Amino acid sequence: MGKSNHISKQSDSIRLKAALDLYENAPCGSVIFRNDGLIVAINNTLSSWLGYRKSEIVNHRTLPSLFKIGGQIYFETHFFPLIKMQGFIQEVYFDMLRKDKSVFHALINVREIPSEGSGDATYQATILDVSDRRQYEKELLDAKRKAEADSKAKAEFLATISHEIRTPLNAILGIGNLLHNTPLNEDQKEYARLLLGSSEHLLSLVNNLLDLSKIEAKKLELEYVSFNINDLIITLKQIYSVKAAEKDVELRLELDEDIPQNIIGDPVKLNQILTNLIGNAIKFTKEGSITVVISVLKKEKKQVTLKFEVADTGIGIPEEKLEAIFQEFSQASYDVSVEYGGTGLGLTISKKLLELQGSQLHVSSKLHQGSTFSFELNYKVDKKKSKKSKQATETQTEINFDDYKVLVVDDNDVNLFITAQYLDQWHIPYITAKSGSKALSILSNEFVDIILLDLQMPKMDGYQTAEKIRALKLSQDPIIVAYSATTKGEVQTKLIEAGIDDHLPKPFQPAELFELLKMYKTLKKTKGKKRRKKLLKTATRSKKYAKQLEPETPPTSHESFSLDKYQKMANNKPEYLQKFVKSSLKAVQDYYKEFKDAIKNDDTAQLDKLIHQSTMTLYYLKADKLTALMKKCSELIAANDSASNLSTTTKECKKEFKTIIEGLKKAKKQ
Amino acid sequence: MSTYQYTDIKKAFNINILGKGTQPMVFAHGYGCDQNMWRFVYPYFEEKYKIVLFDYIGAGNSDISAYSKEKYNSLESYANDVLAICEHLKLKDVIFVGHSVSAMIGLLASIKKPSIFSKMILIGPSPCYINKENYVGGFDKESIDELLEALDSNYLGWSQNMAPIIMGNEDRPQLGKELSNSFCNTDPEIAKNFARVTFLSDNREDLKKVSHPCLVLQCSQDVIAPVEVGQFVASTVKNSTLKILKATGHCPNLSAPEETAEAIKDFLETNA
Repeated sequence: MGKSNHISKQSDSIRLKAALDLYENAPCGSVIFRNDGLIVAINNTLSSWLGYRKSEIVNHRTLPSLFKIGGQIYFETHFFPLIKMQGFIQEVYFDMLRKDKSVFHALINVREIPSEGSGDATYQATILDVSDRRQYEKELLDAKRKAEADSKAKAEFLATISHEIRTPLNAILGIGNLLHNTPLNEDQKEYARLLLGSSEHLLSLVNNLLDLSKIEAKKLELEYVSFNINDLIITLKQIYSVKAAEKDVELRLELDEDIPQNIIGDPVKLNQILTNLIGNAIKFTKEGSITVVISVLKKEKKQVTLKFEVADTGIGIPEEKLEAIFQEFSQASYDVSVEYGGTGLGLTISKKLLELQGSQLHVSSKLHQGSTFSFELNYKVDKKKSKKSKQATETQTEINFDDYKVLVVDDNDVNLFITAQYLDQWHIPYITAKSGSKALSILSNEFVDIILLDLQMPKMDGYQTAEKIRALKLSQDPIIVAYSATTKGEVQTKLIEAGIDDHLPKPFQPAELFELLKMYKTLKKTKGKKRRKKLLKTATRSKKYAKQLEPETPPTSHESFSLDKYQKMANNKPEYLQKFVKSSLKAVQDYYKEFKDAIKNDDTAQLDKLIHQSTMTLYYLKADKLTALMKKCSELIAANDSASNLSTTTKECKKEFKTIIEGLKKAKKQ
Repeated sequence: MSTYQYTDIKKAFNINILGKGTQPMVFAHGYGCDQNMWRFVYPYFEEKYKIVLFDYIGAGNSDISAYSKEKYNSLESYANDVLAICEHLKLKDVIFVGHSVSAMIGLLASIKKPSIFSKMILIGPSPCYINKENYVGGFDKESIDELLEALDSNYLGWSQNMAPIIMGNEDRPQLGKELSNSFCNTDPEIAKNFARVTFLSDNREDLKKVSHPCLVLQCSQDVIAPVEVGQFVASTVKNSTLKILKATGHCPNLSAPEETAEAIKDFLETNA
């Protein structure tokens, strides 16, 4: 009996020794600390990791004192309360400091050791060395950040380059067009035609690249404007019938009679998608026909779902290639590229543009028999405009520009020259200015109807120039049309702020410029104020929406204002909403002051300017009532209407202002 | 706009009302935690007082969506929230118990609307965490910068680390289920902003404007609010009592709830 007792004692002591040895030299650190953080025990592993002698730590140092300052605060505010609450804590990362002040990356587990008796509990912490893991994490993180930065830089580079290319391309296209119109022999004509054809191709490639880079960088936003879909399709047909006829291919259009005339959505993107699909269809069809079918899938009171199909009788796509055709720069085969040309970006872009609108591009195809591309899109029905809008198709001879004067402002000699050449051809009187300040000095002496203003100029850019022109308060304010290599959507807000009426993206086709001049020439006949109002309306309609596909509530709300738009734009980030609210409040307060000023002085010009200025803000706030009331005020003043009518409307305006300001204040306070 | 009008303030601030008394004691938690940090302390007062517990917006079970960096860019915004809660609950004669940064928040509220409050209990208060000329705050500017930088750069986040580990604990039945995902589990962005607002604030001047009787509860060893700071507060606030607790650390309400509660009780009785 005694012997076995002895043996068990012996094995106990062996086990104890082993346990102690394990405690001291375990592959993890261990400390025991008290309620106040003071360390009462530390094992060899940890003391050697940290480079301290045990005696320097035990009863001298608290656990948090071994952390960096952030860790100390964290320990007090988060870590310790949590241990007290739940009695343990697992795997929290701390930066510990070695004796030599270098950082030791530690993962800490703590558990409470309940006290025996009435004393305070103690805590045991086990500490793992996670330097390796930390290093990997850091490398992964660095790699991730670098990749993100690289990709961003790449997208920006692409955007910049595409943008830069557009400027000289404008010159090439312009000169090509001019050259084409001079007396040339047959060879020269062919050269000019090739030059034009190639530069147009280059332009479409650059535009596609720019689009793609914007889509990739998620910078492309959807517009949300009212447009006539019949007009859009018929124009497309007119353009492509010529190309189709050249190849002896018939282009057919089948439109569902049920399609609403005016719908609200993004006409530019729809046009781009259809252009790509029809262009492709013509490209890959040698004989037969191309059929564009638009049918109504679902029609409700305010909403319509349209199905678009573009079917051809072309070469078709082998089944195994059906997926690949949507990839960038991939056509079904190398031969395709050689034989048919093209950038191979069109389908990729179309697909992405559809995805942006929550739709998909479908394809079905049979080799040698043809392909059908189809997609569906939802649109809101625009009930307000039921009359068919007229397409500007009049010819140039119908308009006499004799009493019209254009001021062209551009720092680029070539571009200035080209625009001047066009104007010469059309017999439109013009003056040129090579800088903003030059333009301003011209305007102080001379009257012009319309200003074509380049946005990118050194020293004083187009925006500044426009602002200064507006500040001149000319008796008859000229129309300002900005033209630049920037695409329209990006600059809309800035344009309105600078008092610019319209925008013509470079490079432009001569016909586009002519149409624009013609439009404003015609508008000139109508009264200045009316004209402004009309412009204002266009500006309002073409305001951009944050990426959203949901049709929005009708603008004729009975509320004074609403934060719905901001809320959508804020994308659930209250801080953004607050920012919007704050800046709107400031703006509306300013507008209110200006409004009172304008009324006091019976100043319609000031009021009109205010209406123009406040467009954006009031639009976002959905303060249609106020906008309408202010317009009414302006009309009443202009018409010299009875004072009582005006004062009622003014009062209503003031009331609206106050309601909105109060409401915004409330929203800001919350 | 609905998120900005606290149609239900009780829900937005996760307000809980307990106790049998009528005079309200409003317990305001400090940086890093939520109202649960009072669970060992408030039971001492349930018999005599009306206990009001809440979470600041961005903490605990508050309505996180109501948080915005712009709004909560100063302690004043938090003070306004305290006032909003008191007004909503129609509280009067409030005994305010604020831990850590909440002590200052409470004082700011009491300066703005003195009529609502009767006494202020300040646990580990600090009007300014950074050392200034002739003032010991406990931290030099570099340390705070390092802290804020650490908060900025710590990719994994302080608080994120805490999230997955909190679970039911059968040894401690007093920890209810509601703890499981909220306690100390702040959104890292919010934790960061709150830290910035807290540790960069300097409200020393405001202390002079305090008019209510104050109890300053100071721990013996507190890295975050050292004894000098407690002494500064007590000597600057006109009508204040300094009590140095035996408890150490920054959270005597957790590490020494009994001592904390007794000190408060003493103060309330002597100043009744």
